[in-house]
Amino acid sequence: MSFQPNALCFGDEFSATGLPCLVHVEGHGLTMTFLSDSDASERRSESVPFAELTVSAGGLDHDQLVATWTGPTGQRTLYLKNPDVIRAFRQAAPDHLTIPLERAAEQVRQVRQRRRIVWTIVGGALLASVLGLWFGSDLLVELAVDRIPIEWERKLGESAYRDFLARQEVMKEGPAVAAVTEMTHRLTDQIPENPYRFEITIVKSDVVNAFALPGGYIVVFTGLMKKAERPEEVAGVLAHELNHVLQRHGLERIVKQLGFVAVLSIVLGNPPGLGGVMKQLGVELMTLKFGRAQETEADLTGLQLLYRAKIDPSGMITFFQRLAEKDEGRVEWLSTHPMSAARAERLKIELDLLPRREPVPFSFEWRTIREK
Amino acid sequence: MKSEILYPGAFPMVRVELAEGEHIKAESGAMVACSPTIDIESKMEGGFLGALSRKFLTGEKFFFQTLRASRGAGEVLLAPTVPGEIVVLDLDGVSEYMVQKDGFLAGADGVTIDSQMQSMSRGLLGGEGFFILKMSGKGMLLLNSFGAVHKIELKPAQEYIVDNSHLVAWSTTTSYNIEKATSGWVASFTSGEGFVCRFRGPGLVFIQSRNPGGFGAWVRQFIPVTE
Repeated sequence: MSFQPNALCFGDEFSATGLPCLVHVEGHGLTMTFLSDSDASERRSESVPFAELTVSAGGLDHDQLVATWTGPTGQRTLYLKNPDVIRAFRQAAPDHLTIPLERAAEQVRQVRQRRRIVWTIVGGALLASVLGLWFGSDLLVELAVDRIPIEWERKLGESAYRDFLARQEVMKEGPAVAAVTEMTHRLTDQIPENPYRFEITIVKSDVVNAFALPGGYIVVFTGLMKKAERPEEVAGVLAHELNHVLQRHGLERIVKQLGFVAVLSIVLGNPPGLGGVMKQLGVELMTLKFGRAQETEADLTGLQLLYRAKIDPSGMITFFQRLAEKDEGRVEWLSTHPMSAARAERLKIELDLLPRREPVPFSFEWRTIREK
Repeated sequence: MKSEILYPGAFPMVRVELAEGEHIKAESGAMVACSPTIDIESKMEGGFLGALSRKFLTGEKFFFQTLRASRGAGEVLLAPTVPGEIVVLDLDGVSEYMVQKDGFLAGADGVTIDSQMQSMSRGLLGGEGFFILKMSGKGMLLLNSFGAVHKIELKPAQEYIVDNSHLVAWSTTTSYNIEKATSGWVASFTSGEGFVCRFRGPGLVFIQSRNPGGFGAWVRQFIPVTE
């Protein structure tokens, strides 16, 4: 018959792993059968009366029944886990053990219950905060974003910006740079209490795109400038991007994602931790997609900025519409700035509400710049 | 099933001899070489969901490989990914061990592997995450570590303090609390230890002589940053 131990016994002369033994509950107490150390076929037994036992709950999760007593060879500790043995023990135990047994059982129940409660609360809180961060509750994000100094935002954006430019062919001077600088000055002059120092770079690429990074870094591709029939159209895109920065949209997105990822990495014990998350985000800054509400906000504030700067705001609307109609799928700007008819309509209505104002033209000749 | 550790030290390998019909499950990718009588099968231990939970919750591999001596007796050579010692444990059907997520190398078929959720404080501060592996059943269990393995034997009520990132495995008869390394919060972190585990016997605690996270941070500074 094979030996099927059901408990571990610890004692001074046993190794620290404990000695596997077969426990039998009998009328007077417990009998433990051990295999002999020297000969596996030989067995020896020890008995202990109930009167000498003290019991408690123990083990890693406090879910094992621990019985201790002092035998002839010193202190003995028995770890019981098998539910059948524990049940038999509780039935056979005399009165003086009933109270400690109940206390041990109560302890086990308490540990389980506390764990369940803690997990329910934490699970609920996690779920609520993740859901809250993910859907709608922008209040929380805005509160967090408000506490982040502009200086941090600038550093975050700058590293991604320099990284990106290092791999691109940048247009440093020329009429196009002068034109974009003029547009930017016209726009930024109209921003009261501007905490950002905007840096705008033109990148030589046929990609029809422009994007803004947190901290005031804006990249415009020559492809987008070629597509524009009037300078007001480029100014419209610039006004839109400037407002993504001013409204701190990028930061809001990061806080949202960071919150989500940080929670996940803590829960799953992710070794690279937050450092890795931050690095990952540096990459993602480039492909950052803004939410629909953020796009609308940037559109509307952009429109007002154009109006204040006396640049014809209709350029913005017509450019968006033209891009959306003709080049769907090929214009990158649209993949990060999804265009919809509703968005253009909204802008038109907004524009109609503003009193008419004679726009002031730019000092440069757009056609010659575009051709170059 | 017999096992022998070859080249003990930093780069060991373990040779497992299988009789005909015997099999062993090992971490995916652990097999180095084997006799031609051995068949390699891939298996999702605990079914698809079990494997999925193990993959996502403990960071262990999704598949285990099963090495089966189906066409006669043979031997298998197994090695872990990281440099470090291999320990052989013999599970007797009663003893159970909790194993840190990267610690499993291989186990006999009688060994059961579960992912188990830890308590809130242990999961949050223990550095192992909320889910760790629990090994139970009967048979040979091979664990691997990063660096050398040190075995701490605890008598009943004996205590020992271990830095949490050095844990490899511990028996379920032990219990531990997580505490700050020093009495003050600031000193706890400036001492470089952060949180430690106060273990209480009886039972065994296996620790590794190197901290994988610390090593990773050290290596990171030498990696050139280019895209």
